[in-house]
Formats: sequence, C-alpha cells, structure tokens
Amino acid sequence: MQIRIKLYASLRWKLFEEAEWECTPGQKIASIVEQLGLPRNDVGTVLVNGLHAAWDEIVQDGDVLSFLPRMGGG
Amino acid sequence: MSDNKMMSTNPESVVYQRCTIDLATGRADFAAVPCRNLEDVLGGFGRSFQILAERDVANAYSPENPLILNSGLLTGTSVMTGMRSYFSGYSPLKQSGTGRPGAMWSTGSGNFGNKFKWTGLDEVIFENRSEAPVFAVLRDGANGPEVELKPAGHLIGLTGHAKIMALAAEYPDAHFAAIGPAGENWETNYMGAVVMSTDNELKSGEPKSRFAGRGGMGSLMGYKNLLAIVAQSPDKLQKITPEIRDVNRDILKSGGSARFQPTSQGGGGGTWANIEVLQVFHAVPLNNFRPKGCDNVERLFRDEVEREFEVATEACHRCGIRCHNNLFHKNEDGSRGKLAAKFDFEPLILFGSNLGVHNPKEVCDLIHRCDLLGMDAISLGTTIAYLLDYNERHPEAPILNGATFGDYEKIAALIDGAGRGLYPELGRGVKRLSEALGETAYAMHVKGLELPAYLPDTNPGYIFAIAGGHMSMGTHMMLAKEGKHSLDEWVQAITSGGLLQVGYDMIGLCKFVGVGIGHDIIVRAVKEAAGLEIASADILASVRRAYLRGLALELRQGFHEHEEYTLPSQVMDDPNHKVTLPKFITHDFLAQLRERVWSVFKPEMEGLLPVLKG
Ligand code: SF4
Repeated sequence: MQIRIKLYASLRWKLFEEAEWECTPGQKIASIVEQLGLPRNDVGTVLVNGLHAAWDEIVQDGDVLSFLPRMGGG
Repeated sequence: MSDNKMMSTNPESVVYQRCTIDLATGRADFAAVPCRNLEDVLGGFGRSFQILAERDVANAYSPENPLILNSGLLTGTSVMTGMRSYFSGYSPLKQSGTGRPGAMWSTGSGNFGNKFKWTGLDEVIFENRSEAPVFAVLRDGANGPEVELKPAGHLIGLTGHAKIMALAAEYPDAHFAAIGPAGENWETNYMGAVVMSTDNELKSGEPKSRFAGRGGMGSLMGYKNLLAIVAQSPDKLQKITPEIRDVNRDILKSGGSARFQPTSQGGGGGTWANIEVLQVFHAVPLNNFRPKGCDNVERLFRDEVEREFEVATEACHRCGIRCHNNLFHKNEDGSRGKLAAKFDFEPLILFGSNLGVHNPKEVCDLIHRCDLLGMDAISLGTTIAYLLDYNERHPEAPILNGATFGDYEKIAALIDGAGRGLYPELGRGVKRLSEALGETAYAMHVKGLELPAYLPDTNPGYIFAIAGGHMSMGTHMMLAKEGKHSLDEWVQAITSGGLLQVGYDMIGLCKFVGVGIGHDIIVRAVKEAAGLEIASADILASVRRAYLRGLALELRQGFHEHEEYTLPSQVMDDPNHKVTLPKFITHDFLAQLRERVWSVFKPEMEGLLPVLKG
C-alpha cells in the first residue's frame, strides 16, 4: 500500500520535502521513521492527515504522514 | 559562593558575596551573606525575588525600587552555557490594575555574566538613583572585589553597542552591560533592555550583543542614571575535569539542545525552524497575531533567506550549542559583507510577518534598529503590531505616523522614534496604549507584558507566566507539538512541568540546554562544578517554591486573580478559524482553568512571602 510522506524544516533539509512511500499493511509510524533513517529524537511531532498521532499508530493506505522536527525555544 | 560541600539540608553553609551600592551617595557596602534556603543557593531570580519581596514598592521609578544584578550557581563555571547574569527589580512595564508594578527579572548570555562572577561578586544591589549619569566598574581587586562609580557623560546618547565599544577601549579584560538610548529615555520608554557584550562583538567590533530584554530592566537602569556596568577580571576558567567534560558532552548529545544547534552540526538550526513547523498549522503570527491561512511567511524560511544572506552560526563564550544565527549581507563578489542582524524566531516574526513585513532585508533592518536602540524586541514588536492594527481599523483617524501593516519605512520611523523617547504611546507598551485608545480586545499582553511570537490562541498557559510569555511558563508549544487541549491536560501542564521552565533562570545556565531542570545532567553539573550535592527532588522543590513566590508577589502587588489572569479577549470572542489547531479557549475554559490551577497553587503559596514592616 502507498502513503505520502511530508517532511519539514531540518528533516526536509536532510532528506526530501515530499514523497510517495510504499509500506506494508499493519505497519506502524515508528517503523516508517526507522525506514526513513531518521533518528527518533529528531522527530518532535507526527501528524496523520493533519491530526496529531502517536508512534504506535498503524498507517492506512492513502494516509498523509507529516513529520515535524522538535520545536522549542524563545 | 563558598565551595563548601553542601547537602540540601544546610543551605546556610553556602555564603554569597553581595555588594550594595547606594547610587545617591556612591557608597558601597560588601557583605558575605549566608543562604536562607535552596533558592538563595541556586541564585538568579530565586534569590533576587526574596529581596524584592521584602520591599514595599508602589512605583517602579522610585528610589526604594532596587536594581539587582546577580548570577546563578553555575555562572562562571565550565559547564556549557554557564554564563547567565540576571537583572531584577519592580518593572515599569508590568503593572497591575491597582497601578502597582510587578516584580520582574530578565536575563541574557554573552560573557558579561562570567566576568561579573569572576570579580568575586555574586550579587550587586543598586539602591536609589544617581544625580548625574554614571557607570559602575566592578573589578577583581588585590584584596577582593572593588567597586567604583564613574561619570558617564561621554556615553550619553550612544547605542548600547557603541557604549560597549567605547568602554572596551578603556577597560581591557572586561565585559559590559549597557543601556541604549531607550533606557536613557526611561520616562517615555518603559521597555529598555540591558545590552550585554559578547566575545565576538568585542573582537569584531560588530553589534553582536545579547539582551536581557523583558520587563524594562534597562529603563529601570536608566531611571537610576546608571548607563553601564563594567565587569573587569582576568579570565578564571574553571578546570574542565573529566566529569565536567562528560556533563558538557551530554548537554550536546542529550537531544534537548540538538534543535538549537547549527544545521551543519546535524542540529535543527535554532528557533528559526519554528516558523516552518508552526506554519504547518497556520499558527505563525501575522498582522498582529491574526494568521490568514496564507503562505506569506514562507519568505522567511531559512532556505529562502539564505538566497539573499550568508547565515553564520556563532556562539557565546565556549558554548558548543552555537545557537546564534547571524545574517551577513553578501558582497557583489559573493564574499561576506556587513552584519545585517541576528535572526531568531522572536525578532524575525515580531518585526516580520506580525507587522506585515515579509522581505528579509527589511526585517533585518527593523531588528537591527531595535537592537541598537536597546529595546525589548518582544515588547516593541508587539506594541507596534497593535498600533498598525488600530490604524487599519481606523483609516479615518490613524495615530502617530499613520503606519499600517507592511509600511516598512513608517515602521522603521516608529522604532527610531520609540527608542529616542519621542513616542511614549509605543514606549509605554501595549497595555497602556490600548487602554488609552479604548480598544483592548486585540492588545496582545498578559499582565502588562507583551506576548512573544506564539499565538495566545494556542497557549492559555500565558496567564500563569510570571515573567512574560514563554520564558516563565513552558507551555507555549504544547498544542502544536502534542495537540493536547483538554482542561485536565492544561491544568497538569501548568501546575507541573510548565512552571519548572524558570529553573534555568536560577542556576546560571541557558534554557537551550534543553533538559528538565531536575535532570541528572543538572544534578551532576551542580555537583562537579559547584561542589554541592543537591538531589533532583530538592532542586525541583526549590524551583517550584521560587515560581510560587513570584506568583504570590503578583497577587500582593494587586494583580486580580481572575480579571488579570486572562488572555486578550479577541481569542475567546473571535476565534481565528484559519489556524488549523483545535480552538478550545473559551471564557468558560479559562474560568475553569483559573479555578483549578489556583486551587493547586494557593495552599502552596502560603507563607512564601515575608510580612512587610509598617
Ligand atoms: S545556547 Fe546560545 S545563547 Fe545560550 S550560551 Fe550557548 S550560544 Fe549563548
């Protein structure tokens, strides 16, 4: 099945901005991050179709996953 | 500080060095003061607020309001970022409905904090005010710390940076804290910052200062006729033991600081990246905190700006986090030109999209003007945004020069005028301006302190910040980061983790260390660099008490526990549907939040303030 992945700021600079991604049914967000080769610590927020999601959420065909770097500061 | 080994149970075994300078007479008294509690030991606002709590101050500009300069426990040590100095006093800007001023502190990095600590002093209390402009020289003398007040006529009217460079020519081996023209114009400008020198600034001659901006501590300094402070001492670099080296390595590797490190180092590139992340939700302030769901702010994304400027990451004294993003003009031949501005999330937004200015060159210029004149970028940017909004709503009767959103040249004139004391309407902050104009709904402040560049629509925690916005209540990113918006989650965040944000404003480290204040890294740093064994739980309890003392002090100064612990009413009455995050802040939500948070805090606040004499 296919999903779409969007990366932002430092994650985008490291890899890509947007891409179609093949994944297996039942695959969790955490394992997709692993496949991408992104250190988990670098990802602050995950959105599935624009809504906040947890690492162990299972993705569905056609989902749009957005990965945002950790934020903070002043 | 004494270097006694200390358990958390005997803070009085730690002694700090205080100097009280009476600016009216020039007299300086030195005292070795035993700590009363762990807040005194940790330092920063934890100590200074106990001094402020002993005073009955009805007006910030009165001789009985002290200006306190102090350090934190780890200032001047070899722990990475350990160079903070703190300025505290009753603020001209933060004011309760009764007219009484709120207590404030403000802090910055640079190398001034180190040099101050190395003079042998931990605290200087500036009492009264000088008849004529002076600067204070604090130095490490042959028999201990020495203090001298000197005439400062030659510094009048200079920018903060120019004052620093003038003093640097006179005082080798020193670092400097100065005010700019804004602080000198304290009667009409309440948002003067304290401008602090960095090594890079002194070496290059470029205005790469750091700022203790919040709450108008620079204006208070101006009222006292104290134009600058020189801290002169040879460097006394603490030996980096294997244990301190490990602490510093862990600060860099822990992940907490990674987002502030340069992209070339594999980091997130500083707070600048927040723009792109918040833009995912259309939550970047635009035109006075009212995003329109458009992509205008994208011109300020890092890769866009890099097309026009060279971005150099630089750092304070020996700091590996290297969070400064300094922008340099590019010469025609592609080489690096003059410094354009320092570019971080707050000034970038507050002098950019929030004023309707999207051209990076223009934003740089506005930031630069504010910095040179020595004003708090948050207070000024937010007050100007209100004025532009007002003018747009009242085209038939605009105020001042009639500027509206995007009027770069007129906005530049407003900044210059405010800094030179010509626009008290701006210089006295958005609370006073909006009340005078009778339109307070879209004035972005809480308790008289202007909001930073995070939408109030996303952060009800602002109402329990005790020193402005995000630096004294760490909930400003919670909604965007985690999507949490239930009452229970917000009560929990404010009453537990959020308030601990202030711990870094005690111990002398920078918040960009990025770990919780009770983290093992902090406990180890305190043990190795200060020789004190303080358990994590005791640090947390002390930080909590310090925060609650600050809150108790607000109530004593007359802040109304319901009416003034609120957000600008536009947030509740006219929610912005362009922001794609949940809209959950209603009047009812805030009322329940207040009730539940006060019910946790109030019992703990009892007994934290001394009874005032008389
Ligand atoms: S984190 Fe940034 S502001 Fe803090 S000490 Fe390091 S370079 Fe300076």
